[in-house]
Amino acid sequence: MIVLGSTSEVAQAFVEKALQEGEKFEKIYLFTSNKETTERFARHLDVKFLQQAEVIELDLTKEIDYNRFDHINSNVLFCAIGYLGEGTEEGLYDNKNTERIIGINYAKLVPVMNYFAHKFESRRSGTIIGLSSVAGDRGRQSNFIYGSAKAAFTAYLSGLRNYLFDKKVHVLTIKPGFMATKMTEGLPLNPKLTATPKQAAACIYKAFKKQNNVAYVLPVWSIIMMIIRNIPEFIFKKLKL
Amino acid sequence: MKPNFTQKVTNWGNFPVVEKEMRSEDSFKKIKEFVLNHNEIIARGNGRCYGDASLGETIFSTKKLNKFISFDRLNGIIECESGVLLSDVLEIAVPQGYFLYVTPGTKFVSVGGAIASDVHGKNHHAEGCFSEYVIEFKLMVENGEIITCSREEHSEKFWATIGGMGLTGIILTAKFKLKNIESAYIRQESIKADTLDEIFSLFEESEKWTYTVAWIDCLQKGKNIGRSILMRGEHAFQHELPQDLAKTPLRLKKKLQPTVPFYFPGFVLNALTVKIFNWLYYKKQSKKEVKSFIDYETFFYPLDAINDWNKIYGKSGFIQYQMVIPKEAGKEGMKRILETIAKSGNGSFLAVLKLFGKNNLQAYNSFPLEGYTLALDFKVNSKLKKLVDQLDAIVQEFGGRIYLTKDSMSRSSLTNYLKNIRNSKFVSLQHKRIINNNS
Ligand SMILES: Cc1cc2nc3c(=O)[nH]c(=O)nc-3n(C[C@H](O)[C@H](O)[C@H](O)COP(=O)(O)OP(=O)(O)OC[C@H]3O[C@@H](n4cnc5c(N)ncnc54)[C@H](O)[C@@H]3O)c2cc1C
Repeated sequence: MIVLGSTSEVAQAFVEKALQEGEKFEKIYLFTSNKETTERFARHLDVKFLQQAEVIELDLTKEIDYNRFDHINSNVLFCAIGYLGEGTEEGLYDNKNTERIIGINYAKLVPVMNYFAHKFESRRSGTIIGLSSVAGDRGRQSNFIYGSAKAAFTAYLSGLRNYLFDKKVHVLTIKPGFMATKMTEGLPLNPKLTATPKQAAACIYKAFKKQNNVAYVLPVWSIIMMIIRNIPEFIFKKLKL
Repeated sequence: MKPNFTQKVTNWGNFPVVEKEMRSEDSFKKIKEFVLNHNEIIARGNGRCYGDASLGETIFSTKKLNKFISFDRLNGIIECESGVLLSDVLEIAVPQGYFLYVTPGTKFVSVGGAIASDVHGKNHHAEGCFSEYVIEFKLMVENGEIITCSREEHSEKFWATIGGMGLTGIILTAKFKLKNIESAYIRQESIKADTLDEIFSLFEESEKWTYTVAWIDCLQKGKNIGRSILMRGEHAFQHELPQDLAKTPLRLKKKLQPTVPFYFPGFVLNALTVKIFNWLYYKKQSKKEVKSFIDYETFFYPLDAINDWNKIYGKSGFIQYQMVIPKEAGKEGMKRILETIAKSGNGSFLAVLKLFGKNNLQAYNSFPLEGYTLALDFKVNSKLKKLVDQLDAIVQEFGGRIYLTKDSMSRSSLTNYLKNIRNSKFVSLQHKRIINNNS
């Protein structure tokens, strides 16, 4: 398994869930921008599951040397890279903030995804799982830079799914709603709408086994987002969302 | 939305409830920053203490320190981060033929919490406290430095931290020994006792057993005081097991976990329902003595079988009152305690009696003393404070003490026994309460 964004608690929970369910991986490739904590996770996998893992540094804000990834091959790619940045109120007119959000969530990420998609395509097998966001379903005043990057990522995954379909590679888009993770720590989230990383991992694993195309992490979110998507624009623009 | 780390926090007894800042980090660098930038921090593991021990002005939750570091499968030595739960340890240890040397009555406590409370199990008389098997741990102290503490290195801090209730710093990782087992089953005998004298002599004659514990029906009065069931057990060897279990001796079958879905309304638990429960529990065992093989979960963690059982006590919460009375005075003290409870009509759903063995003098902050210990649950209500005060008076008279990890309202003369922990950085609400009541 290839994991992009290995410090993500959802990614880690997914890896553990898959191993608990008895999935076998020759090796797990843990891509990360934080070597210290990811190495701890790699050791944890070794102790708990006797699972080999390799930690590979990846910083999307820097030039990427793809030669370092030559040896990597796998059947599952799990991408949990995501960067919230500052919301609209604090960060809209800060170009650095905007560029980072767009870069990490989409512009810089897609080439990396493509690199592995190409490998999957040549093997004619595998599953690519991408964590997008409900924020990409409709732009809202509070965080539409992030939302627009996720919208682009959602569209990318959907196109990739279409493109890889007859090449026997499956693409699964996950749209988490609120999750109790580092990204949202300290935010006043409604617990009924918020999934723990463990819950999220279980949902994602199920969608992975069922070969779903798009899955919301908590089912209520598909209803919430259906409503939000269908509010007519002339009303929507007046809402404080 | 701007992060605001203030939230409602409460421990297992749902009493008290506070609104305080709570953070969790998994990077040691960030934890250091956090420690340097805050005053009055207290570590919190899985919140399985009952009262206010792991509550403070700012709470550092170890829930993200949940990784294993190494497992020496040959010698049974495991190292992990402090937020790893004992249930996680068992998950990998048991199938490999290892078990915890010492475990409390729930497996949902963190390794850090087990050290900070120096927890005991049903085997205290035979195998001591959790700390006996701790080889070393890493502690973040007030200046953000990480020190390795063991019997040889920083031994001062090592012993102060054991049972030190988080007041010496944040335990980050720990290395400890596991014991060999041949099966995941316990050979158990349970024996009924009709009187207090009978249960005490049963304890004394069971001294050779590794695990002993008794459940007491604490609503009985007069000559029935002390009506109880003693349970004693040993890890079963493979050859002892009945055939169906002997085939895969280290694997348990998956069980369904019922969950208590919401807080029960206040009237559900009252003197009558507790009486009925205790009566049924006692009558369930019709024979004087029953021998059986039971899986380790049922033997050690009967309460874990129901998720969130603490909600049964309703929103106002409950306390657990656990004291120890030195051995010579044990019987007399217990009798007085049980009489006082019976008279108060404030029934305890659960009353567990145990005989502690000799305490480790080096672990001077540990709760256990050689003697009898009783743990009781009481629903929080207007009469409770008075009952606690009466019980405290008896414990004091007999030279006993209160278990800090369960305390939330006992008098400070019984709870201020910690030594070597003065420190203005790591402060819990419990510690403040005790100090303030002292002056
Ligand atoms: C059903 C049940 C049965 C129990 N049975 C027993 C029993 O048989 N024997 C027994 O001894 N106890 C028993 N307990 C109590 C329990 O074992 C202790 O309270 C234990 O310390 C809880 O661990 P925790 O991880 O939840 O810690 P918390 O409750 O979060 O914290 C407990 C204390 O440990 C400190 N602490 C936690 N983590 C750290 C850390 N990383 N560094 C420094 N300090 C830390 C806190 O500051 C606090 O003082 C029982 C509890 C329950 C709910």
